[in-house]
Amino acid sequence: MITETVYYIISAVLVLGVLIGISMMSKVKSANNGNTISAICTLIAILVVMYNCEILTAWQAWLGLAIGAVIGVIGAVKVKMIEMPQAVALLNGFGGLASALVAILTIWQTEDMFEIYVGAVALVVGFVTFTGSVVAAGKLHKLLPQKPVVWKAHSFIVAITIIATVLAVVLCPDCIWLISVLSAFFGVAFAIRVGGADMPITISLLNSLSGVAGGIAGIAVGDVLLVAIGGVVGASGLLLTQIMCRAMNRSLVSILVGGKVKKSAATQETTEVIKEETVKAEINPGEILSNAKKVIIVPGYGMALGQAQSIVKTFADKLESNGAEVKYAIHPVAGRMPGHMNVLLCEVDVPYDKLYEMDAINEEFKETDVAIIIGANDVVNPAANTAEGTPIYGMPVLNASDAKHVIVCNFDDKPGYAGVPNPLYQAENTIMMLGDAKETVTTLTSTIGNAPSETKEETNVTDILKDAKKVIIVPGYGMALGQAQSIVKSFADKLESNGAEVKYAIHPVAGRMPGHMNVLLCEVDVPYDKLYEMDAINEEFKETDVAVIIGANDVVNPAANTAEGTPIYGMPVLNASDAKHVIVCNFDDKPGYAGVPNPLYQAENTIMMLGDAKETVASLMAF
Amino acid sequence: MGIILILIFIVAAIVGYFIINKVPTLLHTPLMSGMNALSGITVLGALAAIAVVVKEHSSVLSAIIGILAIVFAMVNVVGGFAVTGRMLRMFKSKEDK
Repeated sequence: MITETVYYIISAVLVLGVLIGISMMSKVKSANNGNTISAICTLIAILVVMYNCEILTAWQAWLGLAIGAVIGVIGAVKVKMIEMPQAVALLNGFGGLASALVAILTIWQTEDMFEIYVGAVALVVGFVTFTGSVVAAGKLHKLLPQKPVVWKAHSFIVAITIIATVLAVVLCPDCIWLISVLSAFFGVAFAIRVGGADMPITISLLNSLSGVAGGIAGIAVGDVLLVAIGGVVGASGLLLTQIMCRAMNRSLVSILVGGKVKKSAATQETTEVIKEETVKAEINPGEILSNAKKVIIVPGYGMALGQAQSIVKTFADKLESNGAEVKYAIHPVAGRMPGHMNVLLCEVDVPYDKLYEMDAINEEFKETDVAIIIGANDVVNPAANTAEGTPIYGMPVLNASDAKHVIVCNFDDKPGYAGVPNPLYQAENTIMMLGDAKETVTTLTSTIGNAPSETKEETNVTDILKDAKKVIIVPGYGMALGQAQSIVKSFADKLESNGAEVKYAIHPVAGRMPGHMNVLLCEVDVPYDKLYEMDAINEEFKETDVAVIIGANDVVNPAANTAEGTPIYGMPVLNASDAKHVIVCNFDDKPGYAGVPNPLYQAENTIMMLGDAKETVASLMAF
Repeated sequence: MGIILILIFIVAAIVGYFIINKVPTLLHTPLMSGMNALSGITVLGALAAIAVVVKEHSSVLSAIIGILAIVFAMVNVVGGFAVTGRMLRMFKSKEDK
């Protein structure tokens, strides 16, 4: 047993050591040593506490330490770099759980009311951290749905849980089981509602919470060292959370409360579904629409739901001014009442002589360049003619599938009311534009006319890359998804051996956790001094010959500077559009997570290379 | 005593905030995972708690919970520092090659 004063002095020295270790992490060269110093200080702290509590001979303590250390080492060696976000989240959860367990023991062991109350608070924060982190890890590992899961009356349930938890802590701080269950439930309720792309923020926040849980547990057991380090960790997590929020242009509240990005997140998820099925996004809707001479629009209840009729009219007008003939095909049961679609369209001044009944127009689909489905499903389902035994078999449908191209602007690609999957969605000539009808039709409208012109198509990627003297690569989560970092490195090496200078521009929120891209690129031996932060490199795009975007969207969306009122307005972005040429290796040309169409895709100097990043980057290497 | 501890918590948070502010975004993942490892410092609390269990010969349940707390905290500490080290060693500069 050492005296209290001596223990305080030792604690102070160890905290100082940890702080020095952390501050060494601000330089890459010293960071690893800093990490080692922090680890050694932690080890010394463990021994000091064991000595101080006279348990150097207690087998229980050694058993726990040994098991934990072995699991920790094995896990750390085995985890793949791509799994790092979920690994960090899971470890974080363990820290929270440990704090909660400490809190339980403290409450059992003490008679002091202050300690019991503090213990109860530590219990709450610990359990919230634990279940929240486990849910986040599950989402990152794709064990749970990526999109926000919103329960019925979610906010109400959360509010009730918070109130009940607070009441339980105040009125009955030693009701351990009640408090545990309530706070564990709260952790699940808040984490399940966060979408995949908001994970950097959630992980940072949970990181902060685990520190706070430790700190509060420290107050309960009266350990200075624990309190001080818990405080540092709590602050660090909070700072990261703040940085992430700023970079994504989101407020913390909007992420925790969810809701707002629900729709675009849903789009994102379905995009991933499509990815697994087919890679056919290479057809450019802008090109098809710009060259179309005959277009038929098929509206459905989805158009009504999305209140998209007005934008549909604008879209049709633009097609007409571009020289196309536009008709509307109205299925008798489209909508929720007879003639529903007619009413809606006439309301926005669509002349009624352009609205055709099914029988009058069905033969015309064959000679149509593009059929555009807006929020309709069963009424254009070709399975009605073929899929015997299904509820829609024999139902008369619009033969939209006969058109040369079909563009589907539906909210999702799930089966419609009848529950029969729509083979049209998988057809060769179909382009799926999933999401809110208003947004997808707006996107379509913007593509007419500004589609890549013939001359642009001829801009030779090979020549551009061969002549490039200065290249900036902008990686995003798509690179991680496609596991393309290694091929990106080879691509950069080839450029360099060709005499070009290659830099990487890293946006603060690219990926799923803070600094995600840096880790991935360093893993494949990209020197870290080629990785530039946004502010350090943004001015350089102007003098750059080629900016190569790999699986990044919102972070290079110039609309952030101009499109007032959209979710990304004001968000700091990489000025990739300033480069002389831009090559975009994205999976598709849909709007990103924020749901705002990216004007960069339509820019004069942009070359789109859609598809799996691994393949597109490999094809770029042929220069 | 309680008040002093709360004060220490706040001061530590402020000091930490300023130190961490200097860490470049390049290193944010290792920073986060390093901080994550440090949050396992709660192992100290677990040790203090198990000390009481040992001394007072408390119930088996207490002992189990105490040992579990140490295990989880230790996984967090060891795994966290090891993973951070692994990541940091991947960061190589042009000269290092």
